[in-house]
Amino acid sequence: MLGVQMVKLEHVTKEFDDTIVVDDLNLDIKAGEFLTLLGPSGCGKTTTLRMIAGFEKPTSGKILLNGNQVDDMEPYKREVNTVFQSYSLFPHMNVYDNVAFGLKMKKVGKEEIKERVTKALKLVQLEEYGTRKPKQLSGGQQQRIAIARAIVNNPKVLLLDEPLGALDLKLRKQMQLELKHLQQTLNITFIYVTHDQEEALTMSDRIVVMNKGKIEQIGTPREIYEKPRTRFVADFIGQTNILDGNVSAVNGDMATLELADQTIEIPNSSEVALKEHAFLSVRPEKMKVSNTPIEGPINLKCTFKEKIYVGSVTKIVVRLSDGKELTINESHENIAELTNNNDVYVSWNPENAVMLIK
Amino acid sequence: MRKSFKKAYLLLSPSLFWLTLFLVVPVIFIAVISFTTNGDFGAIIYKFSTKAYASAFSSLYAKVIWQSIWWALVATIVCLIVAYPFAYFIAHAGKWKNLLLLLVMVPFWTNLLVRLYSWIILMNNKGVINNVLMDLGIIKEPLALLYSPGGVIIGLVYGFLPFMILPIYSSIEQLDKTFLEASEDLGARPIKTFLNVTLPLTFPGILAGFIITFVPAISVFVVTDLFTGGKLLMVGNVIRDAFLVEMNWQLGAALSLLLMVLVLLSLMLFMRFTNRKDRKLLT
Repeated sequence: MLGVQMVKLEHVTKEFDDTIVVDDLNLDIKAGEFLTLLGPSGCGKTTTLRMIAGFEKPTSGKILLNGNQVDDMEPYKREVNTVFQSYSLFPHMNVYDNVAFGLKMKKVGKEEIKERVTKALKLVQLEEYGTRKPKQLSGGQQQRIAIARAIVNNPKVLLLDEPLGALDLKLRKQMQLELKHLQQTLNITFIYVTHDQEEALTMSDRIVVMNKGKIEQIGTPREIYEKPRTRFVADFIGQTNILDGNVSAVNGDMATLELADQTIEIPNSSEVALKEHAFLSVRPEKMKVSNTPIEGPINLKCTFKEKIYVGSVTKIVVRLSDGKELTINESHENIAELTNNNDVYVSWNPENAVMLIK
Repeated sequence: MRKSFKKAYLLLSPSLFWLTLFLVVPVIFIAVISFTTNGDFGAIIYKFSTKAYASAFSSLYAKVIWQSIWWALVATIVCLIVAYPFAYFIAHAGKWKNLLLLLVMVPFWTNLLVRLYSWIILMNNKGVINNVLMDLGIIKEPLALLYSPGGVIIGLVYGFLPFMILPIYSSIEQLDKTFLEASEDLGARPIKTFLNVTLPLTFPGILAGFIITFVPAISVFVVTDLFTGGKLLMVGNVIRDAFLVEMNWQLGAALSLLLMVLVLLSLMLFMRFTNRKDRKLLT
């Protein structure tokens, strides 16, 4: 199944009262894929999901579902199901009737409904809860029922709109893995919307990073994290240090970047041009700090500001001469003796620096 | 725990005082009067008697009470049928919502009596409706719109329709729209969504509307007075006449109590068929 195109968005644009919410979006989603739409609130990710579900009609552009154009099709005719942020379990029905609702609407036989509902409830480990009302369940249980209510219909695509947003951190982490495993077991295409980058990295096959209605970058979690294309992506996914300055020399594979009163060597790439401003992203865990200058192409002199113990690592904050601060993550055992306002030297492997588009 | 309980009662005390003074005490008066003896010219003689109840249960009054319940019930059901689509429309009218709500409320600014008179002009044998229908040749003889149970029901519906619209409107308005989306998402056509989700979830509004329409409709007497000139009677007419015309306070009191018990019983019966959650939403 994997590899076959399941959902296709072609030049999809959505406007609300002259505000462009989704701007000329092009996206291919493969069957069996776990795809995450990631971005800050207002980036158009939920609107995109709602257009696939059918709750919103695109202002222009085409949406194809399993090869069929669906952008004018009513939601009840589409072979997709949604898990809502607020779960939206019908409060006047018990768990069984909630899960059976979709099948009843499709006039599936009573015996088959019973069989499929039981199976779906078993899948989310709540087979004993059929007679309860949604109100009598915890947030995590309601969430599972919402998932069961959607997958019982064997949708071609399951749409999930920040389904874990209301759960506490621990339960959320557990549910992330459960959802991922569920998706692998069922082999259904999942389109998942979240603003939580960690969640996106944990669960997705591919991540679509969105900002202001446009796609910033599409890639695997690893690509997105390690090779961010734009400043927005580098900044939004995880923590990073963005260094910017003018390119003073280009020399084969390498170029020279002027930072405050110093220069560093950066990898030459299509984003680098002489005399132009360039942006460089280096993750905190890829940087090293020491008291003495380090051999190599990069040796940035900074002033030590503070170190913060955050459990897994120690964060070291240093300041460049122009006042810009850099954060470095060091494991506790590797930390040099550092004194406030002393000069320190920051370095990294040039391979770990990523040139960004403005 | 107990302290906060006491505090709560302290806060409640003005309304409890009010209710005691103007509801409980008058009801006790009425209950006492209903068991006294009727003297000359309406004098109340404090001597135990059940004569008032004997006549209240006589076939004449029983018929009026039954008739009142029946007309009020029909009027309430008609109100519901008219009000639900209308309330639904207002709730989905976007920027027109407030204007439409205002139109529902405007009649409250004028006395019911005056508004009913305008209906007389419409429904008279020589009124607007009959004239138009006859001129169009649809009918030959004028319809007896007034002086008929149908006319009374029209009056009741007209008078109490806003009481039905407002609670239903509020329940539709407050309905979480994602339930409707969830239903549609699960393959329910709009009509199925309405029957399976919207209707049950707005039931508390229907229930509230039903009660606050039915209860005043059953005891109103201006409609029958104006539309039938006292030819047709509702229990309200009989009670008023007992007090003010026949000077038989005992009968009036007995009928009042009887009506109160009947209304309470029918509400309790009605509540039996609704589940606890709906009732909780109501209060």
